[in-house]
Amino acid sequence: MDSIFHRVTIHELIIAIVVVLSLVFLLIMLVLLYSFYKYKVLYQRQIWLQESEQKVIQAIVSGEEISRVDEEFITRLRNPSFRNVFLSVLVASDQKFSGGARNEVNNLFKIYKMEDAAWQKLRQRKSYLVAGGILELAVMRVERAFPDIASLLEHPKRQVYQEAQYAVVSFKGFDGLDFLNTLVVPLSDWQQLRLLRSIGKLPAAHEEWVKNWLSSSNESVIIFTLRLIRKFQLLPFYADVINLFDHTAVNVKVQAIRTIAALENDETVNQLIAAFFTQPIEAQIEILRALKKSRSPQSESFLQQQLWHHPAISIKIAAAEVLIALKQHGYLQRIATDETVPEEIKQVIKHALQEKT
Amino acid sequence: MLILIAEDDELILRTVEHKLLKEGHQTILTRNGKEAIEKIKELEIDLVITDIMMPFASGIEILSAIRSFEKELPVIVLSSMGQEEVVADAFDLGASDFMVKPFSPNELILRIKRLAGK
Repeated sequence: MDSIFHRVTIHELIIAIVVVLSLVFLLIMLVLLYSFYKYKVLYQRQIWLQESEQKVIQAIVSGEEISRVDEEFITRLRNPSFRNVFLSVLVASDQKFSGGARNEVNNLFKIYKMEDAAWQKLRQRKSYLVAGGILELAVMRVERAFPDIASLLEHPKRQVYQEAQYAVVSFKGFDGLDFLNTLVVPLSDWQQLRLLRSIGKLPAAHEEWVKNWLSSSNESVIIFTLRLIRKFQLLPFYADVINLFDHTAVNVKVQAIRTIAALENDETVNQLIAAFFTQPIEAQIEILRALKKSRSPQSESFLQQQLWHHPAISIKIAAAEVLIALKQHGYLQRIATDETVPEEIKQVIKHALQEKT
Repeated sequence: MLILIAEDDELILRTVEHKLLKEGHQTILTRNGKEAIEKIKELEIDLVITDIMMPFASGIEILSAIRSFEKELPVIVLSSMGQEEVVADAFDLGASDFMVKPFSPNELILRIKRLAGK
């Protein structure tokens, strides 16, 4: 009985081992096949990337003589994956080069009819594809796509409406910013920088728009407008910016102070000092940064006062740093070695001097 | 002229290379700052075109190295938007000119000609 049981067990054991080994072998084969497939996809993509870049380089370096229609290339562009790689290289190139080189890249879009591929993306349901289509049409400067893109400014997906915002500004410059009049969602910092970068000049009739945006109920629209004022040094808005020191949002106050520092005139230092006492800590630190930038001796006694009497350590340190910028090392070192001075003030000065070195 | 290009963006690197070759210059390509510093040290280079942000050593470190080698070498810095302070540091360290990306390769060639004529 024992012996039969023993034989059956061994038989079963062998079958089990064979089954397990087969499964392991199958699994290894699957992993290897999948890795090989992924490697092939990546390798192919790398080759397509190099080919696409070579096409762009030829067009930029040699101009139209080389960039005329390449029939074989057109045939290969029928492969959607290759077309996407080529399109992404063209979009990236457009953002790296300017002048004649950018025009050559733009010619490639037209010669190889990449517009059709971008239009198709615009009609997809997936938001990342729609956003990609918007970017491509904007980079190609397909003017007739403007109404379709503008209609996507109210799209519920952030990726889509952000790309639409960028595109309308790429097409129309400052005039494309009219969506700010009704914008209710926040404009991210990154998006603000992208938009600012796309605006090369202001039209003569910009004042009414700027004034309107400065009183927007959307905090990010005000901050964007302050950055616009800084970029174009819009001095006529000096008083409007000063008024924003009383805004309820701390971020707006901080940006307003930064803007006033950029528009600096003879009154600025006194105005910043006068506003200091009613501001929250974040805005007070920004005022001290502005004073550091202006390096005006007018602020010396005010800074000494903050170093001695302000309750917040961060303000004491910032005040000491500005005094260093004003070359008041002698004053600070005298305090630091005076035995009657409280230890806290000495530590603040040591910290500020260390930061400097 | 023997021109060294230090740039980690392959498309920019190769476009500038082809443009310079077409103009009759010789080029040395480096994809990081450390490699660029080694080449500048060992070779007699006539001009350097460098990106600001690169792996291992930045454009600023390249300029410092050129200064420490006591080489009189014109350097054109390629910067991005918002790197004004770094560009100012680059000028303090002896940069001859700078261009902001996106840039025009044709304009780069003109600037090289201007520097070569000095």
